[in-house]
Amino acid sequence: MGTSVQVSPLCGVYNENPLAYLVSIDGFNFLLDCGWNDLFDPSLLEPLSRVASTVDAVLLSHPDTLHLGALPYAMKQLGLSAPVYATEPVHRLGLLTMYDQYLSRKQVSDFDLFTLDDIDSAFQNVIRLTYSQNFHLSGKGEGIVIAPHVAGHMLGGSIWKITKDGEEVVYAVDYNHRKERHLNGTVLQSFVRPAVLITDAYNALYTNQTQSHHRDTEFLDTISKHLEVGGNVLLPVDTAGRVLELLLILEQHWSQRAFCFPIYFLTYVSSSTIDYVKSFLEWMSDSISKSFETSRDNAFLLRHVTLLINKTDLDNAPPGPKVVLASMASLEAGFARDIFVEWANDPRNLVLFTETSQFGTLARMLQAAPPPKFVKVTMSKRVPLAGEELIAYEEEQNRLKREEALRASLVKEDETKASHGPDDNSSEPMVIDTKTTHDVVGSHGPAYKDILIDGFVPPSSSIAPMFPFYDNTADWDEYGEVINPDDYVIKDEDMDRGAMHAGGDVDGRLDEATASLMLDTRPSKVISNELIVTVSCSLVKIDYEGRSDGRSIKSTIAHVSPLKLVLVHATAEATEHLKQHCLNSICPHVYAPKIEETIDVTSDLCAYKVQLSEKLMSNVIFKKLGDSEVAWVDSEVGKTESEKRCLQPMASAAAPHKPVLVGDLKMQDFKQFLASKGVQVEFAGGGALRCGEYVTLRKVGPTGQKGGASGPQQILIEGPLCEDYYKIRDYLYSQFYLL
Amino acid sequence: MASSSTSLKRREQQPMSREGDQLIVTPLGAGNEVGRSCVYMSFRDKTILFDCGINPAYSGMAALPYFDEIDPSTIDVLLITHFHLDHAASLPYFLEKTTFKGRVFMTHATKAIYKLLLTDYVKVSKVSVEDMLFDEHDINKSMDKIEVIDFHQTVEVNGIKFWCYTAGHVLGAAMFMVDIAGVRILYTGDYSREEDRHLRAAELPQFSPDICIIESTSGVQLHQSRHIREKRFTDVIHSTVAQGGRVLIPAFALGRAQELLLILDEYWANHPDLHNIPIYYASPLAKKCMAVYQTYILSMNDRIRNQFANSNPFVFKHISALNSIDDFRDVGPSVVMASPGGLQSGFSRQLFDIWCSDKRNACIIPGYMVEGTLAKTIINEPKEVTLMNGLTAPLNMQVHYISFSAHADYAQTSTFLKELMPPNIILVHGEANEMMRLKQKLFTEFPDGNTRIMNPKNCESVEMYFNSEKMAKTIGRLAEKTPDVGDSVSGILVKKGFTYQIMAPDDLHVFSQLSTATVTQRITIPFSGAFGVITHRLGKIFESVESSTDEETGLPALKVHERVTVKQESEKHISLQWSSDPISDMVSDSIVALVLNISREVPKIVAEEEVAVKSEEENGKKVEKVIYALLVSLFGDVKLGENGKLVITVDGNVAHLDKESGDVEGEHEGLKERVRVAFHRIQSAVKPIPLSAE
Repeated sequence: MGTSVQVSPLCGVYNENPLAYLVSIDGFNFLLDCGWNDLFDPSLLEPLSRVASTVDAVLLSHPDTLHLGALPYAMKQLGLSAPVYATEPVHRLGLLTMYDQYLSRKQVSDFDLFTLDDIDSAFQNVIRLTYSQNFHLSGKGEGIVIAPHVAGHMLGGSIWKITKDGEEVVYAVDYNHRKERHLNGTVLQSFVRPAVLITDAYNALYTNQTQSHHRDTEFLDTISKHLEVGGNVLLPVDTAGRVLELLLILEQHWSQRAFCFPIYFLTYVSSSTIDYVKSFLEWMSDSISKSFETSRDNAFLLRHVTLLINKTDLDNAPPGPKVVLASMASLEAGFARDIFVEWANDPRNLVLFTETSQFGTLARMLQAAPPPKFVKVTMSKRVPLAGEELIAYEEEQNRLKREEALRASLVKEDETKASHGPDDNSSEPMVIDTKTTHDVVGSHGPAYKDILIDGFVPPSSSIAPMFPFYDNTADWDEYGEVINPDDYVIKDEDMDRGAMHAGGDVDGRLDEATASLMLDTRPSKVISNELIVTVSCSLVKIDYEGRSDGRSIKSTIAHVSPLKLVLVHATAEATEHLKQHCLNSICPHVYAPKIEETIDVTSDLCAYKVQLSEKLMSNVIFKKLGDSEVAWVDSEVGKTESEKRCLQPMASAAAPHKPVLVGDLKMQDFKQFLASKGVQVEFAGGGALRCGEYVTLRKVGPTGQKGGASGPQQILIEGPLCEDYYKIRDYLYSQFYLL
Repeated sequence: MASSSTSLKRREQQPMSREGDQLIVTPLGAGNEVGRSCVYMSFRDKTILFDCGINPAYSGMAALPYFDEIDPSTIDVLLITHFHLDHAASLPYFLEKTTFKGRVFMTHATKAIYKLLLTDYVKVSKVSVEDMLFDEHDINKSMDKIEVIDFHQTVEVNGIKFWCYTAGHVLGAAMFMVDIAGVRILYTGDYSREEDRHLRAAELPQFSPDICIIESTSGVQLHQSRHIREKRFTDVIHSTVAQGGRVLIPAFALGRAQELLLILDEYWANHPDLHNIPIYYASPLAKKCMAVYQTYILSMNDRIRNQFANSNPFVFKHISALNSIDDFRDVGPSVVMASPGGLQSGFSRQLFDIWCSDKRNACIIPGYMVEGTLAKTIINEPKEVTLMNGLTAPLNMQVHYISFSAHADYAQTSTFLKELMPPNIILVHGEANEMMRLKQKLFTEFPDGNTRIMNPKNCESVEMYFNSEKMAKTIGRLAEKTPDVGDSVSGILVKKGFTYQIMAPDDLHVFSQLSTATVTQRITIPFSGAFGVITHRLGKIFESVESSTDEETGLPALKVHERVTVKQESEKHISLQWSSDPISDMVSDSIVALVLNISREVPKIVAEEEVAVKSEEENGKKVEKVIYALLVSLFGDVKLGENGKLVITVDGNVAHLDKESGDVEGEHEGLKERVRVAFHRIQSAVKPIPLSAE
């Protein structure tokens, strides 16, 4: 009868793996999030690879790796080609996050799962929506309406509402009901009785007791304590998500206390991140937009934070205690890892974690209690080739170039790269292709195609039989010419020609160091060595993860009280705990599917539509109750001229029906109401309300949870025959509508 | 005779039944005029006000829209399209000085500029204190009440759904689409369908509205293409400054000014020979607002967003700001953009007075000029002009009118309307003549007669009727079986906004936020007699009295009328327990009365009982009398007719009521219906209480 809804998790159930869920609504497949972890383990994506090509739309909820990390890879390698929907900040910050991931990886490994081009092209498909925008899908998804709503947690973070024929499916993961400095709290509570709620149990077992200002004090005290004794503070952070909140706290605190310790925000994309964030004011909390409206004071105009985009700048910074926020939060890669290794053995230093890191990462290991004394770390570094290696490399390149020239002359129109035997590369397995596939102007459309053909291999055709050596035939010299500064100037002139691709403009923004990294065409290789790092610095964790805790999750779900509930993304214990809790007191249909297990959450709801005839409605007297109005109708089914079902007034007198009392009695409110009427009231034991001398009022029946709507309320009023009894009964009746 | 009275009756009834379907649109300002935009709209008890502007040509109360025509306290939502004075400037007055208590919405950028603009307006307008509509304090207070809405974001207030589209025109300008019970109204505000240097073109809404309230500033004019007018603009400036002249561009501080600055900055960047010629914009307000322009880059077009990737295009390289004329050193060729745009007074007028008699100089008027301003006068190139000090001077400077107006021209308007095909078009915001021409020309474009085009004057209401069907969704247990024609459906009808749901009482808590409750009552009554006495007496009065024994205590219990349980609690007390509803309450009351009477005066009960038994027949007569009396009190003229039927006459309409079956015969449907309902209600009040609630 209703709309069919199937859910099948692809990743991230019964553990804290990245999120990816397939939801099929009347045959239209939504991929909810497309996440990956900081280890970039392709085996996690296996379930996704089996269904990627059948996906009709991708909805992204947060701009971090766990929620969108696999997008470029899935688009490139797994055949995902559906349009992607996200809010503007998720799109921008997600893109920057992926850049940062890529560049961090590239520094320390032969990272070849995806390239910057793949990131760009993946994000080009993103259709950007604003909060509460009802977007009507067309084509196969005709009749489906999707809308992102505020999730809290991260800038632009969304919970998604998918509606078809009045049936609502809500996907809400990593929401935060609390208002923060830069974000408003989620609006999840405003959704009532959706057909299906898909939510995470991530924090089901976690209770956050500390009040936010206590937490802030603790956070700042911990930092200043270490700074004052001459130590450095490292905060491993994400690229463009939770870090924004931390930056604001530090910024505010520094201006209040007039601290002179420098704060550095170090990622490959830090200055672009802040530039974009400055223009996202309308997505932030009310107080931030209000302060801009009244005083044109942009909260992200950071006065105390220095934005750095490479490690050299940090090394060149004046010595002395400092605070450094660096990515990645997992310490698996990025600047944070390097800095950690450098600073770990000084007991004055502090590494401050602000969230529980991804499972199986270095950061998670350090968060264990008690923290490890030593950790074994593999440090990798990209170094330019020298000596024999360089000569060998150049010979190889020359040979390839000759081959390429030959091939090009033979088959001019064939733009695919020159093939080369596996033995070509076996001699130099450490040689890295230095981001040859990435070309800054590459995504600007066909206008540049002619520049790129020569010696450049368009990524679309570069899927090679020989993994991973598929694209190192580019001509370095010419490549260098392609990205010369003039191109940027020309680009400006060309802007009038029309919209450029979303990805293209971000390229231009990439910080200089990033650009230089990409332009760095010197042959180089990665060398790794294992170190034992003595961890003598302080390790502290103060929760700034910005998610609702277990208690709030439960009360939020109870408030939303979905008809069916699907739990995902949490450890087995947390999932089981929340499942039991919800089964007991919220709703009877709770599911926690396993990976690739398809569950059917089609609502067994019966429904049909009828037209209400004018005649019937003129006799209906509505009574207002909260924001809805109710009335009892007795009617007869008839047909309209257009053969639709129509309700008409009864021809004969309606059979009397059992009267219904409608209303929700809150004992607390009723007590106040009685008190205002001059009745002596007090709560006696067992939730009973003593009214006056003799009469008692109590709620009976199953009252397991608060605010839940498990069934009709049962109220018992008892007392001896007296005037008070009838008076109080009248007051009680006044709280209800009799239908 | 009868038929004529029927038709009379019908006419009276029509507005009654259709009242809910009537949609009223009334311009309170901007009807056949430009300025003080304010359009009132009401449908289904929901009331919306679009825009709240002033007429900049007047001051004090005279500048306001006709707010007296409406009751501000009834307005649910007030939507402001953009920050221009003629669309937003009476808002502080309306919010702070009237009874308005609804909600106000505008976009983020509009709100940010609104405050700066109005604060400036209050400072600049030098009017007497009593003419001041509001002060800075009112503006600041209004900021707290204004809520923001993002483009495309759907907001629902009291069942009114609305969202907005990009309108072009100025930064943050929006077109509002309002949906009330399925009827959609589009209010364009000022809009432009042409993309310019920084703004997006107005979007074409996804859905076609039922009513389109559209601006008609440009009437039937056609704009020059953007490239031509930009070229004219830069050519005039280039040649003037090349000959050593000065260029004055009087422009309103916000909106077009930013577009012109972008053009100039870009032109200067491409012409290094001009680099030694300064460009100034002389408006502290524009300077303040630059921060807003630098922030809301994302609501601008792709071109700007792409430039933003490199550097903020609103950080100008060749243009500097001037705070006042004292800072300006007039020592050679220069380009100065100054406000006000109408050359009424202020900086632009001061410069004009200095420069107007030199023929090397030029003045470029870049947009729409309000009637009665000096800018409008000099377009016609008079020989002489009057200076601010009252002297006259020859007008030698060249005057160019190059319209950069960001209002849709005729071509844009007609294509826009053709794409949308709204059945009702209401023209506002245009001079009466222009509007009339536009209306005539549009008529020729929509000749099929299905489109109504209206141009109401201020306070002139346009009425439309929308008979939207009310659809309800029957859900849950009630819908387990889809009913056939003739089946009855009974349940709770829940109305939320404009959606209706019918459900069984037991499902109420499942599908809505409401819940049902049962109230169980237990009352103890002192009674020291034998329980058997009660059993006996109750048996005489009530149809059904079942005896049982309480399982726990083993004491006797009675179930009266299948509703109320009477139990002996102790030697001296009995208790009554029942679940509340009107009938049970009544039954319990009578039991209470009976029990109390037993313990007081036994004999009297017996006497009454006898009376009750013998008056069986009298009862019937009594019932008839009561029915008659009640019908008379309801309908007036009720006579006893043939076959025991009652003849009811109301306003010449006759209905025959059969007292036995309740059938009603008569000509007039409405009367028949009313008599039938009344009779059913009377009957159910008079008849004995039914035993079960089935």
